[in-house]
This record gives sequence, C-alpha cells and structure tokens, in this order.
Amino acid sequence: MSNSGYIIEMKHITKRFPGLIANNDVSLGIKKGEIFALLGENGAGKSTLMSVLFGMYEPDEGEIFIRGEKVRITSPRHATQLGIGMVHQHFRLVSDYTVAENIILGSEPKKKLLGLIPMVDIKKANADIAALSEKYGLKVDPTSVISDLNVSTQQRVEILKMLYRDAEILIFDEPTAVLTPQEIEYLLDIIRGLRDGGKTVIIITHKLEEIKSVADRCAILNRGKLIDILDVAGTSTTEMARLMVGHEVSFSSGKAEAVPGETVLKVEGLTVKGEMGNDAVKDVSFEIRSGEIFALAGVSGNGQNELADAIAGLRDCAAGRITLNGTDITNMPIRKRIETGVAYIPEDRHNVGLVLNFSLSDNLALKRYYDATFSKHHIMKREVFNENGNRLIKEYDIRSSKGNATSTRAMSGGNQQKAIIAREIDLRTPLIIFMQPTRGLDIGAISNIHKQIIEERDRGAAVLLISLELDEIMDCADTIGVIFDGRINRIAKASELTVNEVGRFMMGVGDKGESA
Amino acid sequence: MKKLIVKVIGGEKLQMVRISLVAILISLIVGAVILLAIGKNPFAAYGNLLQGSGLLPKGSYAGRQNMFTDFMSFLDALTPMIFASLSVAVAMKAGLFNIGVSGMMLAAGFTAAITVGYSDLAAVAAKPLAIVIGMAAGALAGALIGWLKYKFNINEVVSSIMINYILMYVFTFFINTYFVNSVSRQSNPVSDAARLTITNVQAFDLKFNIPLAFPLAIISAIIIWFLMNRTTMGFEIKAVGQSRQAARYAGIGISKSMILSMTISGALAGLAGITYFCGYYGSIQPGVVPSMGFNAIAVALLGNCDPIGCIFSSFLITIISKGSVYMSSQQGVENEIADLVMSVILIFAACAEFMRMYAGRLETELKDKKEVQASRQIR
Repeated sequence: MSNSGYIIEMKHITKRFPGLIANNDVSLGIKKGEIFALLGENGAGKSTLMSVLFGMYEPDEGEIFIRGEKVRITSPRHATQLGIGMVHQHFRLVSDYTVAENIILGSEPKKKLLGLIPMVDIKKANADIAALSEKYGLKVDPTSVISDLNVSTQQRVEILKMLYRDAEILIFDEPTAVLTPQEIEYLLDIIRGLRDGGKTVIIITHKLEEIKSVADRCAILNRGKLIDILDVAGTSTTEMARLMVGHEVSFSSGKAEAVPGETVLKVEGLTVKGEMGNDAVKDVSFEIRSGEIFALAGVSGNGQNELADAIAGLRDCAAGRITLNGTDITNMPIRKRIETGVAYIPEDRHNVGLVLNFSLSDNLALKRYYDATFSKHHIMKREVFNENGNRLIKEYDIRSSKGNATSTRAMSGGNQQKAIIAREIDLRTPLIIFMQPTRGLDIGAISNIHKQIIEERDRGAAVLLISLELDEIMDCADTIGVIFDGRINRIAKASELTVNEVGRFMMGVGDKGESA
Repeated sequence: MKKLIVKVIGGEKLQMVRISLVAILISLIVGAVILLAIGKNPFAAYGNLLQGSGLLPKGSYAGRQNMFTDFMSFLDALTPMIFASLSVAVAMKAGLFNIGVSGMMLAAGFTAAITVGYSDLAAVAAKPLAIVIGMAAGALAGALIGWLKYKFNINEVVSSIMINYILMYVFTFFINTYFVNSVSRQSNPVSDAARLTITNVQAFDLKFNIPLAFPLAIISAIIIWFLMNRTTMGFEIKAVGQSRQAARYAGIGISKSMILSMTISGALAGLAGITYFCGYYGSIQPGVVPSMGFNAIAVALLGNCDPIGCIFSSFLITIISKGSVYMSSQQGVENEIADLVMSVILIFAACAEFMRMYAGRLETELKDKKEVQASRQIR
C-alpha cells in the first residue's frame, strides 16, 4: 500500500529502448478528479510514459500504484480492467462499423434469441450509448457509421468507448492535433465535464494554450527526465516553454557566417491538402538563397511533411507557385524536378527514402540508374553501380556487413540514413531538402549530418532543413521559419531569435508572450 | 528446435532456395504419411513419379517406346508450365498478383487456333505466326488488366479472375458453335503445320514427340532474368513492386511500370497458352479454364519468383503432375494422391514469406536472449 491521495502513482519509472532511455527515473502522482497535463518536446518520453501506464510497455524499473495498490500492468486489456482508458492519437475504430458497434466491441451486451442463441443486444447498446453521450454532453448518433463521421466526432466515439468501459482514468494522447479551433474548444469543454463528473484526466500535449485553459497541474518532461510538476494557475506559458526546451543550447557546430547568393527556391502562397482533405499548408511564402540554410521549426503535424512533399513533387499543390532558379516547378513531374535540381531526404527512410529489399548499391543509384553514366541503351552498367557504391560508401562512411551487396533492410538506421544522404548530396543539386534528418540517430551520427548540411550550404546549395528538434534548428540555421498550424508565422535571421522565442512561436503563442 | 529452424531457414545466404527445399521436403513427408496410411510404399510411389516422367527407367515399355519417349512427353508438359510460372513471376516482381494466367492462356490458344491452326499455312509460316499471335493475345489481355488498375484502380486480382471467366465463356461459346469436334467434344485439333509439338516422330526405332518450344521456354527464362536484373526497365518494375512510395519518390512512373509488367506477364501467359493448347494438347476443351494457370502461381512462389528458379520449380511440379498417371496405375492409388502432394508443396511454397519472417523473428529472439544473458553476466 502506498499512502497518499493519489489515484495513480508512478515511482522511479525507467524505460529503455535500444540506444535511448525514453523514461529516466520518472516519479509522479496524479490526484483523483484532476486534469493532469504532460508537456514536452517530441521524443521527451510523454507517450512512452503513458504507454507504460496503459500496459503497452512494461517498465524496466519502477513501480506503479493504482488507487494505492501496487500493480503490474501487463496489457491494455488489463489496464482497462483497472479503469484506465486511452484515446490514441490515431484512432482505433473499425470504419465500417457503427458508432455503437465500435463502442461495444469486446464487451458486447448479450441476449439470447429464443432463450438459446446468443446475440448481440444492439438495441440495448444503442440506448446505453445514447444515455452515456447525453450524460457527458458528447453529441454522437450511435447508429451512424464511423466512415461517415468527421475526425472530431470519431474522437468523441473514442471517448465514449472509454466511458462505456467505466474508465475512471482517461488518457488523451495529443487529442487536439487533428482538430479545428472550434472543435478544440468543444473538446476542452468535454474534458472539463469529465473532470466535474469525477473522472481523472491525463492529457499529453505540447500546446501550452490548452494546458493553460484546461489543466490543473502539469508535468514537464525533457529527454526522458521529469523536469518539474507545476500548478498551472501559478505558472506563465513562457515559463512552461522555457522549462520544456529545458537547457541553454550550445552552438556546437561552429559554422562560418552564411554568404547567401541568388534566390534559389521561391515559394509563393503555397497551399497543400493533407491526408484528411484539410488544408495542411496554408498560404505559405518564403525564399531560400544559395548558400543559406533555411530551417523550418515546428511541432510535428503542423504541415511540415506536406510542405516538403509538395516542393519535392510527391504531393499536389492546391494553390500557389514554386520556382527553382526561376523555373516554375509547381506542377513538374517528380523525375523532371529531380533533374531540375531538387534533392530530398524524406522523413520516412524505410518506406520512402529506400527500397528496403534492394541492395545498397542499387539504393545509392536509385535516382540515377537510368542516366548515361549508369546505363546505356537501357542496359544497366553493373560495374558503374558498384563503383558508385564503393565511392559513396567510402566517402560517407556507410557501414554494412557486405558492402554494396547488403540489403538495406539489414542495415542500421544510422547507416540507412547515411546512404540516403550520400545519394541525395551526390546529386549536387541547387536545392536540398532535409526532412528530420537525424530522427532516431545517436549523437555521433547527428553531428556528422549537421556537418554535412553545413558543407552543402558552403558548396552553394540552398538548404531547407525541417526539424522537430529545436537544438538542431538552432545549431544549423541561418534563417529560421516557424510553422504552426500550416502557416509560417515567423521568419527571421537565426541570430535574431532565441530558443524561447522559437519555442513560443512553435506553440502558436507568438508575440503575445506572457499569456498567463 | 528453435535453433534448428534458424539454422535451416534463417540467415541470408540462399535463404529462399533453402526455404523452397524445406517446403518440398515437408510436403514429400506429408505425402509419404498419407501413402503409408493407405498401405502403400511411399518410396515406390515416388519412384513411379520419376519413372512416369522419363527420369528413371520403367520395368517394361510398350512397343517402340522407352525412357526417352516419356522424357520427351515430360518436356512437352513442362514447356507451358515454365511460361506460365514466368508470367506469374514477372507480375509478382511488380507487386501484382496475376491470377488471370488461365484466361490469357485460353485467349492465346483460341486466337492462334482460329487464325493459324485451322488455316492451310505451311509449317514454316504457321508455327512462328501461331507463337506471335498467341503472345500478342496474351499481352493484350495482360495490358488490359494493368490499364484497368492504372485507370480505375481496379484490383488486379479481381479483374484478372473475372477475365478468366469472361474469356472462358466467350471462347466456349465459339468453340461449341463453330469449332467443336463431334467425336472428342473438344475443339477441332489444330493442323500439324501449326502445332508446336511434332507428334509421333519415328527415329532410332523409337516413337516420340518433340516439343519445339521447349528451348524457347529456357531462352525466355534467361531473357526475363536479364530484363529483370540488367535493364532499367526491370529495375523500375522491381522498385515499384517492392515499394510504390519509394519508387514514386525516385521519380519512377508507377503506372507505366505496372502496365508494362502486366503486358510482359500476359505475353508469357500467351506463350504458355500456345504451347499448351497448340502444342501439348493440340485442341481446346470448352467449358474449363486450364488449372495450370493457377498452379503456376504456387510454382512461381516455389521458384521464389526468380526466372531461373521457375525452371526448377516447374520441373519438379511437372514430375508430380506428369508422373502421377503412372504412379496410380502401378500402385493402385488414386491419381488424387499426386495432386494432394502437389497441393501441399504449393501451400508450403505459398508460405515461404511467412517462413522467412518466422525464421527472422526466431533469430532476433535468440539473439535477444543471448544479449540479456550477456548483460546479466556483466551485472
């Protein structure tokens, strides 16, 4: 037994993954009937911590107490039995089922047809769910089919799913990432209603405004460590942002001043549709000159992916114009764009950047296999593939078990990334886009990649660096743009911005500064 | 046990070949158990399969026949199987599942039969023309499936299986209406001039058939291998098959690659059809789709979708299908036992990817265990 008024207590939780410590000795207690926020940058360990609580991972060290009792939560099913529910960032709904069917899935109310054949009592389910949604003010029609519903309604279904299972502790993983401002307001009202109904709510987020508006207390995580637990009412958003970013950033790359030349990339009024048909990038304009690193800062999911894809040609532009060295490339096919001079290190190196089952030498030639150096009359010159592979392997120190012949699937993440970067840099294009180039890599690999980014600039390339890591942005950037909700809301010279300012713009707080 | 599995089918070197061999071995064991259960000697039965395929001498032969006769007949059956499995393999490389090989075979056989097979053309012109027309007919059917996929995003599995039936019923109608042979209830046999198998050749005091297109099957396999491994077209098709996202990112035209690979696949299915209907059989049975087109899927999988691998897996499957008649006559077991063994092989072959993944999982599991043990020792 643990003595305290806490409904949840996590003590000295440590969770390691190969090559990183996601949670490092985190201890926190959550009171019954409060709204508790977990704040931190991408990769700070918020989601891991909650996954531990929800039984998706078992902690390597530490203990969990629920209602004062020590528990080992082995699976999400177990967590559900303990009265813990979670709304994931990506909803887990069967899209062809109705709202009610989704909600009861796994704990269906049963009746017996003719006293014999067990049947799902869908009428009872519909009635129960209608009553439940009435009680908490969650507007949902239990009989409508999921695929007909918009995102915010689907989210309400997820909430009802937890409530239907009598969850007392409700975890929300980035619940507002996919919602419009009005929908966010509505959701926050629901969350307040849940608290007033006696539920305990945990929100994972990096939006300070929301925390300010709804949370009672807030824990700040940074690189797996718990920095502080604060009373929200007594803390300003600026203070929270400072704690979240955490530490003074060292300008370790020691790069020379930029000597920008002519404008290479010009983006004017660009609008790009996202996966869900929404405007993911909204009327964005910026320029990058040769010899300049333009770093785009922002929290994940604010339109960075769509923007990079649109420039590289992987996604259509809904409006606006993209010009490269004066050539309009807005609607140019992908290959033509590559040839005109766009190199692109994509975020998803497994599905996009590499053909994983291809050999290293094939992957290193992925964008050039057809040109005159690599093939003649459509017949590939294997020896050129090998020479090219050997050269890049040596130049970029790509390590693998069998050199050219290694299947890239068998290589480590860092070396896969080196291979992609080698191939793209070797195209010697006027524009090179780095999307999250160091995600998941170790310190050594990161500083190496930063050096390469800067070398590219010094060669005279225009570099677009998109990153979720503020350190990376501050380390490399000559110019910083901050994207929030699909708009670039600040562009300035790197020297004119502090980390905290960038952090604020990333959170959409902007110039308002103190909004406490 | 786990270690043994990892040892046999884990690792990278020639892994797919080893997995295929394991699939064959397991199937032969399963078949042997069934044979034992019905009181037959599995070794004798399997020996009969080889004898029936002309790979082992039989005890006795009918007049003017010997092992060579059987072997030539075996090659005659092998030829369309190689083409059919190549057809599946090429589509598979592009990430497409072509179940329409049967229909394409019919298209090729029928078109060639009515244009060349029932004409008076001399052999010199008729045989090459039949091949070309058969290829073209198959290629057209394949291209249609690829185009439907590209234009309307129609799943190729659905469209190809439907095309099987559409073609089968259309040709059945025409055969029954215009070309039916009143005795055999099959289509009229194609002329000897157009037929790709020379039947009843008499030489060295022997009678045998010569499958003219067999060398073409081997050459085709080599050409397809070259196409897939040495040309930019093959590079593109494979990239699309492995990862459409990555292929698109590299600037490869995905739709072009898909249509192209389906066209090649169709042309190969056409060759299978022409060598089957205008070679091995010489006529078309109305109302059925050739099961070879479906078997070819598993044969291709057993050959790891590699053109050269397809030659070997076709060889093996044809031994079973061709030798089964002799086995059933010798052992007094039903023909179906051979089909059963074949089906089991094909099921295991279809599980190759699963076995590969399973081996991989066991491998990491064992490795993890070792690491955990090592780290404990350090502590």
